[in-house]
Amino acid sequence: MSHVIELDNLSVRLGRREILKKISCRIGRPGSGRAIGLLGPNGAGKSTLIQTLLGFHKPSAGAARILGFDCHHSSTQVKALLGYMPESDSFVAQLPAITFIRLLAELSGLPPAAALEKAHETLFHVGLGEARYRPIGTYSLGMKQMAKLAQAIVHGPELVILDEPTNGLDPGARTRMLKLIREMKEEHGMHVILCSHLLRDVEETCDEVVILKDGVIVHQADLEAERRANRRFVELEVLGDDSALATALGAIRAEGLNEGGGRWRIVLPGEVEISALWKVTASCSLAIRKLTHRRDTLEEIFLKAVGHLRATPGEEAGRKPEEAAIHGRL
Amino acid sequence: MAVYKRGYSRYTGDLTGRWQRLVAVPRFVWGRLFGQRYVVALFVLALFWPLLCCLFVYVANHAELWSSFGRDMAKMLEINGQFFLVFMNVQSVFTMILAAMAGPGLIAPDIANNALPLYFSRPQSRVDYVLSRFLVVAGLLSLVTILPALFLLAMQTGLAGFRWALDFWYLPAGVLAGFALWILIVSLVALACSAYVKWRVVSGALVLAFFFLLGGAAEMMNAVFRTTSMSHLNPAKAMNRIWAALLRTEPGAELNTAVCAASLAALAVLLILVLERKLRPVEVIS
Repeated sequence: MSHVIELDNLSVRLGRREILKKISCRIGRPGSGRAIGLLGPNGAGKSTLIQTLLGFHKPSAGAARILGFDCHHSSTQVKALLGYMPESDSFVAQLPAITFIRLLAELSGLPPAAALEKAHETLFHVGLGEARYRPIGTYSLGMKQMAKLAQAIVHGPELVILDEPTNGLDPGARTRMLKLIREMKEEHGMHVILCSHLLRDVEETCDEVVILKDGVIVHQADLEAERRANRRFVELEVLGDDSALATALGAIRAEGLNEGGGRWRIVLPGEVEISALWKVTASCSLAIRKLTHRRDTLEEIFLKAVGHLRATPGEEAGRKPEEAAIHGRL
Repeated sequence: MAVYKRGYSRYTGDLTGRWQRLVAVPRFVWGRLFGQRYVVALFVLALFWPLLCCLFVYVANHAELWSSFGRDMAKMLEINGQFFLVFMNVQSVFTMILAAMAGPGLIAPDIANNALPLYFSRPQSRVDYVLSRFLVVAGLLSLVTILPALFLLAMQTGLAGFRWALDFWYLPAGVLAGFALWILIVSLVALACSAYVKWRVVSGALVLAFFFLLGGAAEMMNAVFRTTSMSHLNPAKAMNRIWAALLRTEPGAELNTAVCAASLAALAVLLILVLERKLRPVEVIS
């Protein structure tokens, strides 16, 4: 089966400027829903990439494919699989939400009766059930965002492209929006591309991230794998005589580095759960003062990728050669 | 189960074809248009003239009603190309006003509200988008042009007999082709004005102004250059000349049918270029 998105030496030129420069990648595993974060500083080419996927721009070289369909040559088939929530306000303000969303559902190919039914269903789903007969122009900013989400999912697309979905939302509405995005992939099996400047939103919802800078992909990460890897690296602080701890850690095939003062850096093998450390420290009669996972936040990944940060803060400082070896194995 | 209790689920049924998607917009827009009193009023008004023409056809086919008025009256009441040319000229005025009412709401709100990316991210092309809006105007105008014309032709054939239909075999084709050309031009003008101006009222005024200003400009140039050939640039006059040729009536000497057809074709191309330029999902600044 094809990947959700495949970019093959994709170049896009707008006017005389080359915005995307021969980018290649395969994003999103086929099958169950995946959320992909699209990150990058302003002017990196995120919007151009989204618009190229939507068939709005013709590639100057290479190709972009969504679920195996070429975005330019099979534009109609691609659009039948897509839902798009643009960043800016985008609707006919005078029309009631139900009318507008029904019309868009029909344009996506739903029969009239099904389109009306799905428009009602979707508006209730996004929390606009009671306001569905009001003109969209009278909605608050948060309601407009929800209406935009409703039109993107009313026809049940395979892939939903969300451009800054939490822009202008208050904390409650933001939480609701992120919950809806998670539901889209987990319960309804949709693939999601989330383009956002809010790294926390991406971190909370996405399984993969692609970071663009100056029209090229500077980093692609599987956040799920990163989270799993982070869970393997533990910082431990104990009270008591910890001289026997290294041997005890060896028994569970974990590697430990004593930093002095009861502080340890430990790498756990894949199959060992963190709870095993409690047993090990108990067997050495040690009290645990602190136990933390190393957490390479998305912000750090992003800053490293765009060149504002050389490495995770505090990671380089005080790192000993043996420790570096442990990091090398991570 | 009530819709608010059901929750969201993805649509998994059959999808409609391209043509059914194309008529979705006309259905919505016609519903909205006929909900407006002034559109309905104008629509009813536009049907008065066809009613009068029906009366005329009835009277013309009942010799006993006018035989006492002599032979001149008989010639005046003849149903021929001239009769249909007058019918088409009057109806064309209503089509312009109807297009000025219906046209501006078709594209201007989508551009003003930045809704084009939503339409173009659906499985429809720019051609489909324009075609669906064109169907709105063309369908509406057909109701006050082609439909009454067909009724008149059928009525006349019914009353005058098959012999009349054989003598004037070119009239149905001429009326249909003439109206179809006019509807094409008026619809394109309405759509181009709607795409060019974001404000509906201004866009509606522009549709009417387009015909009057072009006509005025053509007459002004005629006066300046002491010629009549600039009338080819007046779409109403050019169309009238083509109708006269199609209905085989006596045309005025000052206009050439081929040049009129060429000028209208050039106008149509220009209007399509305006639509092509304005209807883009995203604006690219080079």
